[in-house]
Amino acid sequence: MSSSTDRGGSFVSVAHGVAWRNLHNHFSHPMYYIPSLVFPLLFFTAFTGALGALTDLPGFEFEAGYEGFQYVFVLIQSAAFGGVFTGFAIARDFETGFARRLLLAAPNRQGIIAGYALAALGRWVFTALVVTGVAFAAGMTMPGGVGVAGLYALALLVNGAGILFASGVAMRMRTVQAGPLMQTPVFLALFLAPVYVPLAVLDGWIETVARFNPFTAFLEAGRGFLVGRPTTVGLAFGLAVALLVLFGWWAHRGLRSAESAG
Amino acid sequence: MSGRHGIEVVELVREFPKGPRAVDGIDLHVAPGEIYGFLGPNGAGKSTTVLVLTTLLPLTSGSARVAGYDVATQGRYVRAEIGAALQEAALDPLLSAREHMRLQTTLHGLSRSDRKVRGEELLERVGLVEAADRRVGGYSGGMKRRLDLALALVHRPSILFLDEPTTGLDPQSRTALWDEVARLTREDGVTVFLTTQYLEEADALADRVGIIDRGRIVAEGTPQALKDEIGRPSVEIVPAQDGDHEALAAVLSRFGESVPALSQSVAVRLRGGESELAEVVRALDGAGISVSQLRLHAPTLDDVFLEKTGRSLEGAGSEHGGDESAG
Repeated sequence: MSSSTDRGGSFVSVAHGVAWRNLHNHFSHPMYYIPSLVFPLLFFTAFTGALGALTDLPGFEFEAGYEGFQYVFVLIQSAAFGGVFTGFAIARDFETGFARRLLLAAPNRQGIIAGYALAALGRWVFTALVVTGVAFAAGMTMPGGVGVAGLYALALLVNGAGILFASGVAMRMRTVQAGPLMQTPVFLALFLAPVYVPLAVLDGWIETVARFNPFTAFLEAGRGFLVGRPTTVGLAFGLAVALLVLFGWWAHRGLRSAESAG
Repeated sequence: MSGRHGIEVVELVREFPKGPRAVDGIDLHVAPGEIYGFLGPNGAGKSTTVLVLTTLLPLTSGSARVAGYDVATQGRYVRAEIGAALQEAALDPLLSAREHMRLQTTLHGLSRSDRKVRGEELLERVGLVEAADRRVGGYSGGMKRRLDLALALVHRPSILFLDEPTTGLDPQSRTALWDEVARLTREDGVTVFLTTQYLEEADALADRVGIIDRGRIVAEGTPQALKDEIGRPSVEIVPAQDGDHEALAAVLSRFGESVPALSQSVAVRLRGGESELAEVVRALDGAGISVSQLRLHAPTLDDVFLEKTGRSLEGAGSEHGGDESAG
């Protein structure tokens, strides 16, 4: 048998293997890809259909229409929840013992997290393409032109932060019963932001909470990119990077916790 | 480096937080190319030892080197040299056997051209080519075990860990797996560390056996040497007449100490070994006792376990609690 010390998969090969398996399972089974499409599309059609008249409110001015206003929310929401669903997949792998196969085969175990993250990114890109297509079909416009790339860059960072947050929870709890612990904080943060109307139109406690909610900065910056009037860009990207660093540390510690537990 | 190294363990301890000391200071030496059988009841510490040696669980104290690498500080090198099929075959029910092969070969960094060749070669070796494109969720227990073994071999490991590989398998599947393990050692020189609670498995496969109980190794050696240590066979006799039971026991007591036997028979461990059997028959003849059945039992590994722990291996796990985490 071989006697070299350079045997075994690299970080890249481990990430490739883990990402391939997750994407393969996701797109081979409707039970996985349908829910990830249904939620953002349901939010988009329900909100734009029922709440379109909100644009008549004094102080509500948005050049891309209510479809564009909600599109940004749905895009950020799908990015964040794409990360959460990755946490579910990790927890399920620990619960079924499949994670041991990955831990045994991976020389560099950080490659496992990278693989899950790549798969989550792939899934979200697919969801974003479908949501964008539906939004255009519903009449959304993009006055910001190529500046809208900033929105997608921001959504990618939110997706990454969501993955790392949920991975950290999943690797500590190692059971799908940890699902609410992954979902609830993200759900609360999303809906305590200016989802239906701009921050300026909010009032009372919800306005106070929204002002300090990082998702507010993400939504405002994203909507600014869509209409070509960038706002809170530095704050939004700064917060997104800070969350990435924080949850990166959280996920790294989670991996150590999972390794210690065997 | 790995080619000339097996497994070296010194004073290995693994404690679980607020739990038992699952492995309590064991020493092990497994030579390259050897099949080492690790025998013990449920909860004895077998699986915990395997998890530590495969870098899936950190050790509490002591040291362990696998394929020449320290499991505590050189885990990535250890993982590159070992293959493992653990108690529960960790398979994805949504993937086919061929897709599992693709995943495993990718994880181990095989080149694109090697992946397919190696995958097909192993599927053929374990007899899964026909079923290779079916999802493994529909496989039988035996098929899952065979696939798990094949997956453990994709990167040509120098050391293979098999944790109770035949538990729950039918006799035919069990024999097929034994043949494959023996072939791996014979033809490929793979070192095999095999845990089992089946005496006949350790007896049939292992070059050497370590018997573990409550986290400690209580006996170690070749199966024959361990049985020779017990040394003496036992003779079990059923009298032709029920009324001769006590007389039979009195005669046999001259030849050795009594051992447990079925209610209608009497058994003793022969002080002088097999050569005393003729003397026993003559003594019974002299006492006018007719015999219905006479059986000579060679010592078994269960006798060794009984001798070392005061308990029989069968059922010892339930007595101990059988804590899965303590393996």
